[in-house]
Amino acid sequence: RKCLIVILHQLIPLFIFIGGGATMSALYLGRLALRNPDVSWDRKNNPEPWNNLEPTQQYKLFKVNMDYSKLKKNGPDF
Amino acid sequence: MAEDIQAKLEKYRTAPFDARFPNQNQTRNCWSNYLDYHRCQKALDAKGVDTAPCDWYKRVYKSLCPISWIQKWDDQREEGTFPGKI
Repeated sequence: RKCLIVILHQLIPLFIFIGGGATMSALYLGRLALRNPDVSWDRKNNPEPWNNLEPTQQYKLFKVNMDYSKLKKNGPDF
Repeated sequence: MAEDIQAKLEKYRTAPFDARFPNQNQTRNCWSNYLDYHRCQKALDAKGVDTAPCDWYKRVYKSLCPISWIQKWDDQREEGTFPGKI
């Protein structure tokens, strides 16, 4: 028969961890929805979203053994 | 520019890293180069210019794409049912 405040006070770490986890998941889903080069929200104006990435632009979060600044566009223009 | 492409084509070993497709799934890379090759052909033919630079894209998609896909897409282009925009 503890009062509500005492119970909530003891559950704060739980809220922090669950809230933090939920926020991180939501942020990652947001990054996927808005930044992923395979996602196109407006097919009329953005039919090939992967072409919006520059040749030196890094999408991955971490890279190993990869120097993006040295890359150039591969194929010829037309 | 054309000399660069000739040099690149002569040194070609395999499809180079493409920052637009950094992950394991390279399906889009194959599709994109197939489309780019045929668009390049169409654009340079319309301008009346030599289409040799387009061969870069052809080499890349031949390195990346399964042969069955290439055959299927070629058949679709002949029939006019190809789903991509060329």
